[in-house]
Order: sequence, then C-alpha cells, then structure tokens
Amino acid sequence: MYELFIAIRHLTSRRRQTVLSVIGIGLAVMILMVSQASIVGLNQVLYTSIVDKIPHVIIKPGPDEDHIYLYNSFVEDIKNIDGVIGVSPVLFGQATFEYKSHSRNVIMQGIHVDDHDSVLGINGYITHGSFRDLEMSHNSVVLGDALADKLDVKIDDLIDASFPQAYPATLKVVGIYDSGTPQDESLAFTSLSTARDFFDVSSVVNSILIRVDDPDTAHLVSDSINNPGVVASSWMETNPEILQLSKLKSISNIILMGLIIIIASFSMVSTIFMMVMGKTKEIGMLMAMGASRRSISVIFLLESGIMGFIGPVLGVAVGILICLQIGSITMDMGEGSFGGESAFPFIVRIRDAVVIVLFTFILNLLGGIIPARRASTLDPVEALSSE
Amino acid sequence: MSDKKKIEIRDLTKIYGDGVEVRALDGVDLDIEKGEFLAIIGPSGSGKSTLLNMIGILDTPTSGTILLDGIDITTASQRQRSKIRNQKLGFIFQYHHLLPDFNAIENVMMPLLINGIKKSKAKKIACEMLEEVGLYDRANHRPNQLSGGQNQRVAIARALANNPDIVIGDEPTGNLDSKSSDIIYDLLRKLNKEHDQTFILVTHDERMAEKTDRIIRLVDGKIVENSKVE
Repeated sequence: MYELFIAIRHLTSRRRQTVLSVIGIGLAVMILMVSQASIVGLNQVLYTSIVDKIPHVIIKPGPDEDHIYLYNSFVEDIKNIDGVIGVSPVLFGQATFEYKSHSRNVIMQGIHVDDHDSVLGINGYITHGSFRDLEMSHNSVVLGDALADKLDVKIDDLIDASFPQAYPATLKVVGIYDSGTPQDESLAFTSLSTARDFFDVSSVVNSILIRVDDPDTAHLVSDSINNPGVVASSWMETNPEILQLSKLKSISNIILMGLIIIIASFSMVSTIFMMVMGKTKEIGMLMAMGASRRSISVIFLLESGIMGFIGPVLGVAVGILICLQIGSITMDMGEGSFGGESAFPFIVRIRDAVVIVLFTFILNLLGGIIPARRASTLDPVEALSSE
Repeated sequence: MSDKKKIEIRDLTKIYGDGVEVRALDGVDLDIEKGEFLAIIGPSGSGKSTLLNMIGILDTPTSGTILLDGIDITTASQRQRSKIRNQKLGFIFQYHHLLPDFNAIENVMMPLLINGIKKSKAKKIACEMLEEVGLYDRANHRPNQLSGGQNQRVAIARALANNPDIVIGDEPTGNLDSKSSDIIYDLLRKLNKEHDQTFILVTHDERMAEKTDRIIRLVDGKIVENSKVE
C-alpha cells in the first residue's frame, strides 16, 4: 500500500497546510455538534415543559353532542389501554367571577382532584391552600395566581359566580396555584359536583383528558379510542405547532450547518488542489515509475479522506467537551416555565456524532475526487516537463 | 531471430498540433540489441526526446509500432503500460525528479513498492543500489540535502531498482558540471556492463556520445546517422 505511504508523507511534509485544513473542518464540525446538541436539548425542554403540561389525548363529545354520557365505564375502559397512566373526566364552561368591585370572565373546570393530578400534576402547582379542599366542601374554588391578583382575592374570600343559563353560586377560595402558563389568568378549578350544579347538568362531562407514559405514542392511544359519540385527538393534532416548531428548528439547523461544512470542505478540496498543482512533476515521475492512474488518484483521495476523517473526529470530540462544560454551568433563568436555576440543556447523542463524522467524511471524499481525478489524468510527458 | 533483439521500432511517426502540423518523428526504423549502450543525439527539436518517450511508453505514436520482446507496446492498455514501465523500464531524466518529501533510500524504494514488493525487502534492495552508486552513507538525506550529482546518482539507483531490461536516460548529465558528468557516465557504463541492461541515452554532449557503443543522430524526426563507435 505505497499509496498510503505517499499520502501520509505528503500530509506530514506540509504540516502547516494540513493542520490548517483539519482545523477548518474540525471547527465547522465542532459548531455543528454543539448546535445539534443544543437543538436536541431544547426540543427535550420543549417536550418536558410544554408537552408535560398539556393532556396527551383529549376526548370531546362528537359533532352533534354537547356532553359525554355514561362516562364512568368509558373512563374504566380507557384506563385499560396500554400506556395510559392517567384519565381525568372534566366538566368545564364559562363563568363570570365577581369579588367586590372586580369582575372577570373565567373558564371554570369541574374535576376529580386525584384524577386530574394524575394527568396534569396540578398538586405540584399549588402555592396557597390545597386542591384537596375542593372535594371537602361544596362550592369551593382554586384560582390561578394571576386571576387571584386580578380579582384581588385571598384564601377564604367568597366569590360570586354567575353566567347566563347557569345557577349563580358563591364560591369559597380554598387554594391558589401557579402553573407558570397564561392559563393562570383565566382558569379556575372546582369539584365536578360543584360544576354540575352551576351549569345545571346531570351526571355528564364534556371532556376526558388522558396522560400516557410516552408522549410520542399519544396518537396510537387516540387512534384506539373510536367509541360512538366522542372524538379523541392526541396532542400532536391539538398542538401541531409544537412538533412543527421543533422540526423546523432541526431542519434550519441542518441546512445552516450543512452549508458551513460545505464551505470548510471547499477549503480542504482547494488544499488538495494546490497539492496536486504543486506536485505535477512528482505525479509525472510516479507515472514513469509505473504508478497506475488509479494509484495516483488513490493517493490524493486518501489525503482528503485522512483530513476529512481526523478533522470531524477532533471537531466532534471538542464539541462534546464544550457541551459538557457549558452544560455543567447553572444559570438563573428568571421567572416563567423554564425559571429557576438550571443549566443549558445540551443533549449529546452518539447517533448525531456518528452521522456528523460520516457526513463530513463522505463530503470530503467526494470533494477529493475532483483534484484526484485531475492528478490521475495528467499526461506524464507534460507533467515531467512542467515548470 | 528476434530473441536477441530487445527493441524493434518500425515506421514510427509522431505528429503534434491541430492546426500547424509538426512532424516530431517521421518514419523512424531502429533495432536495439540487448545490452547495448547507445546515444541518441541531434539538435534541439530533432525528436530525440519524443523518440525516447515513445520507447519509454510515456507517449503514444501517431503511427508505427514498437516491439518490446516481440510485444507491440503502442497498443497496450493503460494498466499494461504502467506495469511495463515499472518492471522493464528505468528512467533517468535531466532533472533528477526525486520525490522531495522522501529521503534517498525511500526514493529508491519507490519503484519496488509500486511493484508490490514488501517494504523490508524493498529497503534491502534499495540499500544495495545506493551502495552501488556510492551513496549508502547518504541514505537518510532528502534531495534538498544532496548535491546535484548526488541526486542524479540516487535517481540512477532508483531507475535500476527493479532490475529493468532497458534504462532510458534523457540528458542524464545535462544539468551537471563535467566532473560530475564523468562520474555519472562511468557509473552508467559500469552498471551496463555488470547487469547486461540496455542503456539508451539522449544527449547533447558529443564527448559523452563518443564513449557509447552506437550513435543515432536525428534531424527533423529522421535518423540521419546510425553508426557504431570505434
């Protein structure tokens, strides 16, 4: 394998150019690795912080129905579906809350506290009082913190609830929660029975919320629910923008980073080109010594292959180090759903590293074909007499 | 009959150029015996180097044939040509054309490695060759650390590494002073005698040509003189 012997010598004899080319590719790959890890990490945050806070499947009444009837046995059936870890029947509607001179239109949701907690983990959001008290006393309510601020109410205050076609009621504030989302301004929880009395309905609900253990399989669960009179939809259908956003981000990242790598590969190809130009005589002499055209092109392909492999491997390694370093620094993210002390969510996937290295390697090899072909098609007589 | 003849050239013609036609070689006929030491001389542009490139199958003729051991090399495939160049031919050029990134011994090893010979064996042969040209002590020097004459001797060692049947020299002493030229000439002559290899040298140097077995004089692509040296 004298081709490898020559290729390695060419690279080591021009150490500066070789190192610069390798660094060029390595830097591009490093940026790609860091960027990819951050995109994957951000998508993960998006999942845990957004998908985690919404029901994975929502069942609503069919087009001609207002309510879901006989829901109790239905809920039992849903609980038996593989992957379902929480089911919460809900009766919700609009209401106007008044306290002293303040008045707000809200969404009032009647829930079973334990069921609803199993779907949305609401107990974790409570800041004052308790969700449990909803089921201890009739006509009690838990408000979002922003809504409580707007109405200027505190625990134990009494709110007047009313709405056309509803039975007015006086609700006692037994808890205040903070989910960190805009719903804190408009969503109030009561028990199912309080909601039924208020909206004047019998033993019905108008939605059933489901949590599954793997959000990515929510559509399978929703597809398996096809009872008459109801419509089930997964979070992918109700919130398609979440998936679209993460896909768009990934695609735009790949395009941008792909371009950076192409530029870096271009500079490497031009290095090989310069090598071929500077070695025309040498190529002619190798041909005179009996090196075949194939061997000549193999020499230069090996050169681009070697640089195109070492560069990405180093780039990925440094990129992973950077991710680990930055990922270990915690920062104060301020208020909101991502709030508190947390580190930037880099996620390094071995699969990404392998794909990046392979992609860059193949790109460089393809780029190397051009100068290698040029070298192998030189005329030995002209090459030997070139200046 | 032809077993002693190594090279038979018949009606060899090479025409260059698309618009203005240049006949670099014009119907050349030439037989070269095994072990001959001959010089091709002539003015610039007479076709000496073209003829040499044809014999070295670095170039293809427009018409005519060159038989090497009875095989027509003008119609050989690229692969065959590479193989013949590697195993049957050795080249020495006016400029040494050593690979600058490799030291003397590695340069001499190169044709052996191309021939598929193992590195350890190639190194052994290369050592012997360097010894033969008197440069064993410079084995680890790169071309830029050697003088012109020394580099040319390394190039000779390289040309002879695969023990070729034919050694082709295109002005092998053209770049050297007369003292170095004499050393190179004596070396070539010695090797020719020891190895019974055919040496074909193109030269400007009449003094050197006089010391060969036969002189071929080319003018305008035609052989005008083909005479044994007394």
